[in-house]
Amino acid sequence: MSIYKSAVQKPITTIMVFVAIIVMGLYSLTRLPVDLLPEMDPPYISVMTTYAGANAADIEVNITKLIEDRLSTVDKLKEIQSSSIDNMSIVTLEFEWETDLDVAVSDVRNALDMVYDYLPDNADRPTVFKFNTNMMPIAVYAITAEDSYSGLEKIIDEKVVNPLNRIDGIATVSMMGAPKRTIYVDVDANRMDAYNVTIEQIGNVIASENRDTPAGNVKMGKDDYQLRIEGEFNESSEIRDLIVGSYNGQNIYVRDVATVRDTIKDISIDERVNGMEGMRLMVSKQSGANTVSIASRVQTEIARLQTTLPPDIKIEEIYDSSEFISNSISNLSETLMYALIFVILVVLVFLGRWRATFIIALTIPISLIAAFIYLMMSGNSINIISLSSLSIAIGMVVDDAIVVLENITKHIERGSNPREAAIYATNEVWLSVIVTTLVILAVFLPLTMVGGMTGVMFRQLGFIVSITCTVSTVAAITLTPMLSSKMLKAFDKNRKQSKFSYDNTIGKALDWLDRFYEKILRWSLRHKKVVMLVVTVIFVSSMYLFKFIGTDFMPETDESRINAMVELHTATRVEETMKTARTLENEMRSAYPEIVLISASSGSDDEAGIASLFSQNGSNYINFTMKLVPIKERTRSVFDIANDMRKRFKNYPEIVNYNITTSQGMGGSNTVDIEIYGYDFNTTNALAEEVKQRMEKVPGAADIQISRKDDRPELKIVLDKEKLAQHGLTTSVASGYIRNRVDGLLASYFRESGDEYDIIVRLKEDSRNSIDKLEEMSLLTPQGTTIRVKEIGKVEEFWSPPNIEHKRKQRMVTVSIKPVDIALGDLATVINSEIAKMEIPQEVMLHVGGVYEDQQESFMDLGLLMLLSLLLVFIVMASQFESFTNPFVIMFAIPFAISGSALALYITGTTLNMIAALGMVLLIGIVVKNGIVLVDFMNLMRDRGLELNNAIALSGKSRLRPVLMTSLTTILGMVPMAISTGEGAEIWAPMGITVIGGLIFSTLVTLIVVPVMYAVVSRHGERNKVDKLRKRFHFINTGEHEEGVS
Amino acid sequence: MKAVFIVFNQANTERIEYVFDYLGVRGYTWWDMVMGRGTKTGDPHMATHTWPEMNSATIAIVEDDKVPHLLEAVKQIDQINEEVGIRAFVWNIENQY
Repeated sequence: MSIYKSAVQKPITTIMVFVAIIVMGLYSLTRLPVDLLPEMDPPYISVMTTYAGANAADIEVNITKLIEDRLSTVDKLKEIQSSSIDNMSIVTLEFEWETDLDVAVSDVRNALDMVYDYLPDNADRPTVFKFNTNMMPIAVYAITAEDSYSGLEKIIDEKVVNPLNRIDGIATVSMMGAPKRTIYVDVDANRMDAYNVTIEQIGNVIASENRDTPAGNVKMGKDDYQLRIEGEFNESSEIRDLIVGSYNGQNIYVRDVATVRDTIKDISIDERVNGMEGMRLMVSKQSGANTVSIASRVQTEIARLQTTLPPDIKIEEIYDSSEFISNSISNLSETLMYALIFVILVVLVFLGRWRATFIIALTIPISLIAAFIYLMMSGNSINIISLSSLSIAIGMVVDDAIVVLENITKHIERGSNPREAAIYATNEVWLSVIVTTLVILAVFLPLTMVGGMTGVMFRQLGFIVSITCTVSTVAAITLTPMLSSKMLKAFDKNRKQSKFSYDNTIGKALDWLDRFYEKILRWSLRHKKVVMLVVTVIFVSSMYLFKFIGTDFMPETDESRINAMVELHTATRVEETMKTARTLENEMRSAYPEIVLISASSGSDDEAGIASLFSQNGSNYINFTMKLVPIKERTRSVFDIANDMRKRFKNYPEIVNYNITTSQGMGGSNTVDIEIYGYDFNTTNALAEEVKQRMEKVPGAADIQISRKDDRPELKIVLDKEKLAQHGLTTSVASGYIRNRVDGLLASYFRESGDEYDIIVRLKEDSRNSIDKLEEMSLLTPQGTTIRVKEIGKVEEFWSPPNIEHKRKQRMVTVSIKPVDIALGDLATVINSEIAKMEIPQEVMLHVGGVYEDQQESFMDLGLLMLLSLLLVFIVMASQFESFTNPFVIMFAIPFAISGSALALYITGTTLNMIAALGMVLLIGIVVKNGIVLVDFMNLMRDRGLELNNAIALSGKSRLRPVLMTSLTTILGMVPMAISTGEGAEIWAPMGITVIGGLIFSTLVTLIVVPVMYAVVSRHGERNKVDKLRKRFHFINTGEHEEGVS
Repeated sequence: MKAVFIVFNQANTERIEYVFDYLGVRGYTWWDMVMGRGTKTGDPHMATHTWPEMNSATIAIVEDDKVPHLLEAVKQIDQINEEVGIRAFVWNIENQY
């Protein structure tokens, strides 16, 4: 028994099966986390090695090179890059997407084990660091304080961080720029020398005094007592009264040689929020946790915690990823709803029957809900990709049901009762319904096989559309006939039609349209050459449009946030940087009333660790984060504001460089990177500078960044080994001493109510702030004498590169350029032609990469995908029609879909980016579907013995409505996506535009060109089987023979 | 006794069943899914992609007086929509055991 017959005969079973699907789908929906994007682990592994005291060049030779050589053989490695900076080497390995990073990490570890023995002794063991999107904070808060500022760290740690950490799903809550309590023992160099004590001595005394020691048990009578010796300081002031030595029989106290300051740590970073002193709090979630629900819980928790804090401490939100997510999701849900309404309206207009419309509309929720089951089972989330995929699918899932229902209605109108009609009408069309679905699968399933980052995005799209379409087909051949048999009424010929009834209004209009189309079709069939000529001209001229359409990688989104990195002159001290930060802040506040909040961090926090990997650091850097009012409340986009900001920044002479980014989600920063490979610093630096100067003249090139920073002035102490030896010292001992004096010696920790604070002993600032004073520093020799630094070496001033970058193990400088008001592809073309004009030394190699390279790769991927889809579609159709020419006729419509897309892109001024290109690939499936419906019917009519042109005209007339209906549902389903302006809409709008443009155009063309092409490639009578038979059985000629048997 | 051979579009299955039941026709032989086409009018019913419709056929052996009723019922079914297709032919039963 066939599936549709069982479905009709067992309505309850059928309903129950679909109820089960809906229940499971809805259950999955409640369980699915909501996120912005599918979780994708970027395939990067970093190896960080610290080698304290080495400068960039030393690091490059002694560490980076060794590690690079060893790691370059790791499996599935795509590219190796490194950056050698002072004290640290960072080697970044980029793997192929979808590499199992756990395996990769262990491969990397094994390789590192082999290289470890060859690293310098003082170098730390390399740490392997796997980057993960979960490390990006989901929310950032700014905390400002007035009176309580000095105690902020402790207050926030106890009252905010700890409670937040208790929320389920939160991985870490970290503080940045918190004022840290530190106890400094600032030693006066002169007094120290006079009393003959050293920093190390003071440090040792502090360390050995500040100690609690258990001293065993004492048994007294019946009891057993623990014995403890308590020496730990209760007050930091106790340090002042420690005795560090004696001089001429007099005790020398710490207070005699030093001042003890219990204060907050010397600033190296300054965090301001709206110009007020403060710090930042970053919250990151655990893998797989629901961003939106966690962020909202954090928000309510923070609102509650706010009341427990001193009144001068204010917590403000700088960034909450859940806000953008929930806005995008609700925006998409709205889009989805409008699409649903449009689709239902189209069906209602064409069918004119409420019950029929209901039956068809019912397949929409069923097939869409089924997608949630897939998302749940594959461990995905509800994100903008999955929701957009649903809104792409919405117009397609009704198609099968429409075809089935249309045929059932036809049978009912012929007088069959609904039950019989449901079975036999489905029997007639079920095969072609399945074939059209196969065509859709032929286009969408290859999407799941694309590699790279785009692949991660397209996989969900491919699976969701494939699954929803498959479910909708199943529903169309089971649920639709079953419901039709129950709900449709038997046709009543004598029913009274009122003047305004459907049949007398829209029905008549549609009838007229059918006849009108038939006329046009007959005319075209008589003027094939004219038609072919016209469409060829249209196609060729539309291809010409591509010249005016720029290419991009990903659309940029307005996330109501602007990040600005401002770089001042190298080695500017943080106090100066702060002043500039305040001036800029004031200017931006007055110039852009759209800004709700500015958070600025000047300088670098040397203990922020991982957090500082995400932004450029240094005492001369300012990082601004600005939050703007929502899109709907402002007229300027973030891109306009960013542009204006660039102009303003140019007016400041102290700003040597700036970089303004507007998004951090998808697309990131769209840049063209010019990579300059070459060993010699001077040559490559000069070249990079030349590139920069040339590019500054290129219109649309903004934020030009050179990755290698200016040489930084450095002081180095060159020690004379011979003299060192004479005094019984070695370089490492001497350098340790010098470090203690300048950087400070961490003597011990001061403990108070469970927290530890550093006690740092060092020379006070005016004993170490000039070359003379550095040379005057005294060191203790093993013989017990003191010598001056100048006796064993000299202080030199020199310039050194602060960072050395490698790519593919070669030294490289990158000049990155951001396109503004120009398409990425166009900018790259201009850049290439500029570079061609330059004179490039032989030993240097230039390569244009960056996002532009990703774009090229992805376009290649998509191109391949398009070919694959075309081939698969051809295979499906050729086997359905058992013909090579029919698929060709149908696919003739595809070029015109591309023409339509080009036209739509040109009119709307949209660039051809990945999403738009993907839209074109999808068009293949959608356009071909229309053609199949037409050609299939033409074959049928001819098989029934109709003359070629007549068959074509009649099938056109008969199939016009289903073709228009399926096209209109798809087009209108995409309209909300194409015109939406809410958060995150920019990403999918290009796809909506290409599909709508392509489909409108190709539908019109398909209706004319496909029939004409069909007529061109067909011969009269080729399908007349009677003639063929007659020839085979010519030996039978008895009795009268009726001519022209039909 | 007469044999009434009814060939009909299988969309009429339920109606024929009802007619047999209504007229008290007890003895019949039924073939599902048979192909055919009309002598004068009617599209072929071939179960192919070109001619997707199918017929069923039945021979009912009835008393002579039921034949006119049966033919009348067939005519009424046919009149609902002639495109669907139904025909009845009557034979004499020469002999039976």
